[in-house]
Amino acid sequence: MNRNIIIIGEHHEGTISPGTLELLDFSRALGSPFPEIILLGSDIFSLAENLAERTGCAVTLINGEHLNLYSAELYQKALLEVLRPRDERTLCIAFSHTSLGFDLAPALAHALQAPCISSVEDIEESSFVRSIFGGKLQSVVTPQNGPVVLTVLPGAFSPDRTPPEKSGHMRIVDVSVAPVSMIPQGERASEYRDSGLHDADVIVSAGRGIGKKENLSLISALASLFPRSALGASRAVCDLGWMEYRHQIGTTGQTVSPKLYIACGISGAIQHTSGMKNAQTIIAINSDPNAAIFSVSHYAIVEDLLSFIPVLMEEYTHPPG
Amino acid sequence: MKILVCIKQVCDSSETLVHDTDPPWVRPSPATVFRMNRFDEFALEEALLIGERFPGTEIHALSVGPSRVCTTIRKALEMGASHGIHLCIEKELYLSGEDTASIIAGYARDKGYDLILTGIMSEDTMHCQVGQYLGALLVLPCITSVISEEISPDDARVVVEREIESGRRQAFLVKMPVVLTIQSGINRPRYPSLSNVLRARSQDLETCEAEHLGSPAFRQKIAAIRYPDAGKKGTFIQGDSRQKARELLSILHEKSLLSWR
Ligand SMILES: Cc1cc2nc3c(=O)[nH]c(=O)nc-3n(C[C@H](O)[C@H](O)[C@H](O)COP(=O)(O)OP(=O)(O)OC[C@H]3O[C@@H](n4cnc5c(N)ncnc54)[C@H](O)[C@@H]3O)c2cc1C
Repeated sequence: MNRNIIIIGEHHEGTISPGTLELLDFSRALGSPFPEIILLGSDIFSLAENLAERTGCAVTLINGEHLNLYSAELYQKALLEVLRPRDERTLCIAFSHTSLGFDLAPALAHALQAPCISSVEDIEESSFVRSIFGGKLQSVVTPQNGPVVLTVLPGAFSPDRTPPEKSGHMRIVDVSVAPVSMIPQGERASEYRDSGLHDADVIVSAGRGIGKKENLSLISALASLFPRSALGASRAVCDLGWMEYRHQIGTTGQTVSPKLYIACGISGAIQHTSGMKNAQTIIAINSDPNAAIFSVSHYAIVEDLLSFIPVLMEEYTHPPG
Repeated sequence: MKILVCIKQVCDSSETLVHDTDPPWVRPSPATVFRMNRFDEFALEEALLIGERFPGTEIHALSVGPSRVCTTIRKALEMGASHGIHLCIEKELYLSGEDTASIIAGYARDKGYDLILTGIMSEDTMHCQVGQYLGALLVLPCITSVISEEISPDDARVVVEREIESGRRQAFLVKMPVVLTIQSGINRPRYPSLSNVLRARSQDLETCEAEHLGSPAFRQKIAAIRYPDAGKKGTFIQGDSRQKARELLSILHEKSLLSWR
């Protein structure tokens, strides 16, 4: 069965996003090593040309003067100019599960009368595997026949690709879409500056499981055992106002790869683990033996952190013998 | 102004759920404790804050699900919503984001809401889809992952910022009616006040049978539910807490991550 896979690529500041390259591996796993890639933008010809060369894939560049800034309205209209009339042979349209991908995929699926399956981690025959209940369970989802719109979890597939024998073809489709109901007002950087997380060898992070703000003293005490350490946090801890957002680790916070990461009372939501799973050694302390954080940890400690950290400190300061 | 907040009831711990096979899905056991999806608490709080800024605002809290979800709708009334709506489905059944949204859209279509708010994602099915589908079905703009909003009710303009990767923000200007999916951290959800708790007690919920509100397309189904691969997990350190502490210290020492005092 030779059916098309279409990948919606993303780029940021003149480079193709790693998630887009991972989608190529996803497509290969679905049986199509050379999917069509669609890029949207304004005057990014050499980026598109270069992508076709590097990947050997056919690249369609949707070019429009307003496409330099993302909006769901503009991008959907532009994509539908290319994707419609619907090609019966299209098997799947894949986005990365990013703020662009999850924003756009459902509305596009609706327009194409296709099912939408988000944060796909794996493929099983004609079904897709995705985590539910914070990663404690997995579901295998089967779409109806016909095209399906997917968002693929960043990090679930490999961004590496062997250079192709010949370069792919690049075509340009000019569109004249303009904002009507959603006017982009620009983008700005995070307000939260670095908090020493990137220089730290060891990061000790607190999750909602610390129970209350006062218990942060335990986390700081643990961190103080290590030279060059810093404090991290899950989003939940920052949302509660227990720590500042500049400590937040994860997709919408900072991505870190220290020598050692200790997660205390963090459940291991994918949005958190994507920001720390490349740490050299990961230790998790969690009272729930089924916590998802243990599947990215090298060492798992099933304990109540409120009683365990004091014991750990005591054993450190007064080692036996 | 008239605001609809779509809230979902989720279980507090998936361990208490019973797995069904035909069709594959989960259902609650007597031990299952339910609560409001956390992201929806932020959506409801944002509606309440808007209501405080613009007196006279009606805030409707709506949930799709079996009768158990009424306790969560009541919780929304206790937090300050003015009206509760239950779109009732009979059984515990899997709904995709599209299915849920088509039921809500069937209800909301002719109700004249200026704003429709939802949490960015539900903690159980984790689709990140319902708001976007509502926008598509009701032909309204939808902004996801909203971390701030500024409304000028006179000309119906709203400036919203959405949070994207690494904490960056994209700003948009939209006109009401609009769908916003709310990201956590936009506010601090309140606890119910005594006066609202008392008011909620005597308030009736509006109930509609979901099947009268349009039929979901059911374009996808669950083939299996299972536990993630245990083989991917690291070493579980064994023993009582003191033994675990010693073992952990010696691992850190061996890896030269910690020096003995
Ligand atoms: C678009 C989007 C972006 C997001 N970005 C991020 C992000 O960048 N970073 C991020 O962290 N999250 C992010 N999130 C939120 C994420 O989905 C989770 O909600 C969040 O990470 C949960 O934080 P937590 O693990 O601290 O809390 P919970 O999930 O509530 O987990 C608490 C854990 O503590 C354990 N525990 C409780 N008591 C104890 C005790 N006494 N001792 C030991 N363990 C205990 C529990 O077993 C549980 O596992 C994002 C979500 C969305 C939708």
